[in-house]
Amino acid sequence: MIHTFTCLNRHFCVDTFTGSVFELNELSKLMIEAYKNSSFIDINREEFFSYSKKELDEALIEVESLIREGILFSKEPFIKTPEFNGDIKSMCLHISHACNLSCGYCFAEGGDYGTAKKSENTSLLHMSISTAKKAIDFLVKFSGKIKNLEVDFFGGEPLLNLDVVKEAVSYARGLEKTNNKNFRFTFTTNALALDEKAIEFLNAEMEHVILSIDGRKDVHNSIRKTKAGSDSYDLVLKNSKKFALARGQKSYFVRGTFTVDNLDFTNDVLALKTEGFDRISLEPVVLDEAHSLAIKKEHLPQIFDEYERLAGEYLAHRAKGDWFTFFHFNLNLYDGPCEQRLLRACGAGCSYVAIAPNGDMYPCHQFVGLDGFKIGNVDIGSYSRTIPIRFGDKNHILEKPLCKSCWARYYCGGGCVAASIKYNNKIAVPHELSCEMQKKRIECALAIWAIENQ
Amino acid sequence: MKHIKIVAKNRIKRDKLTGCGECAAACQSACKTSCTVGNVECERITHSLERKTKEG
Repeated sequence: MIHTFTCLNRHFCVDTFTGSVFELNELSKLMIEAYKNSSFIDINREEFFSYSKKELDEALIEVESLIREGILFSKEPFIKTPEFNGDIKSMCLHISHACNLSCGYCFAEGGDYGTAKKSENTSLLHMSISTAKKAIDFLVKFSGKIKNLEVDFFGGEPLLNLDVVKEAVSYARGLEKTNNKNFRFTFTTNALALDEKAIEFLNAEMEHVILSIDGRKDVHNSIRKTKAGSDSYDLVLKNSKKFALARGQKSYFVRGTFTVDNLDFTNDVLALKTEGFDRISLEPVVLDEAHSLAIKKEHLPQIFDEYERLAGEYLAHRAKGDWFTFFHFNLNLYDGPCEQRLLRACGAGCSYVAIAPNGDMYPCHQFVGLDGFKIGNVDIGSYSRTIPIRFGDKNHILEKPLCKSCWARYYCGGGCVAASIKYNNKIAVPHELSCEMQKKRIECALAIWAIENQ
Repeated sequence: MKHIKIVAKNRIKRDKLTGCGECAAACQSACKTSCTVGNVECERITHSLERKTKEG
């Protein structure tokens, strides 16, 4: 399977089954597209008239040698179906379903994922230390031989229950040696209540920290309001800058969301860069199409142009030594995972679970509170493998018809299963709008890689 | 080559260390809403490199 594309005014080609990537000139692009269409290159066709015989012969020899080497137009190999053994590696702890912000696009419905509307869950906004410990015990018990375990403290806003986070971290650290495990903690916060003591703790214990901020002041303030309805940008920015300064070389991301109201989101990435952040992520909003902020199919051409504009700015900044990284432009073309891992990007339900404050367990943070997706409860010690087995069987690219014919499958690994369920109500049917944006980001990332490594 | 430049070759690893379960399994280290494996590192390769660097 071959995909040719043009990005930043340069031509590229991806051989899906080997993952080989090539930069092409106009002539080799024409030849590869001709071969793709008919498995034959007829140099007497009109599109080759302007080239000399010498040029045609040279290019043809190059194409044929790569085909012979098996890295261009490679044949689909036998691919082993990924195994599901039930071992769990990652856990999202919803440490608090309370939130001090009220964002217009919140997929957590204000922090509690709609659970407050359900009578059985009304009393629990903060996770207790007892539940957090039981969740960590569960992870250790069901992690099998996996050594490196990931725990993300999430919300709502986890800073609103920081004492439990501290105690949970200390508890998990105490289990590491005796169980031969290594915990890697992540903390996702809106930074509104990020004071110096919290910064000190996060920098000491968290492998990754994600700070939510949307870019330009007006963009952020239009959506990320406090519960009282006031603007949050100034305080969030001040706290986030203080954090980034203290963070040093440890991993963090400032992570924003773009909606239909800021499809010129390059300006938001650059606004964050101007404020001194050098690790930036900006995500398309996840909302029902009926929502006024939702991204729709008709916005895609503008979004594609914008990603390419961002790629150009990204390269220009980095070329002059003004380094920063954009999460979706990071690619690992040499030290990436094995094919088995590439077949299933998202471990939701299989190797990843989310725990609500009341101990309920779901396939991932986006499933929390969703009827029909509860896996168990760590407080009462219940755990059923019915849903994990269903996710294990269906959530990989060999089970997804759209992915089986997609050139980008080994870069996205089948995408977000929560989006598949949310938009299509099927594990094996990815959300096409997300796929299209993902593919464009991958093209940009490949072009950036090629240009920076030339 | 004059007309085609190889940017990356044989990225897909089929012949070794398959499915150990140690690589990142979720979107939680940065985005939380869109999953990808394009930027995931092989845990074993990374750690083996780190070890070699430390050992000099």
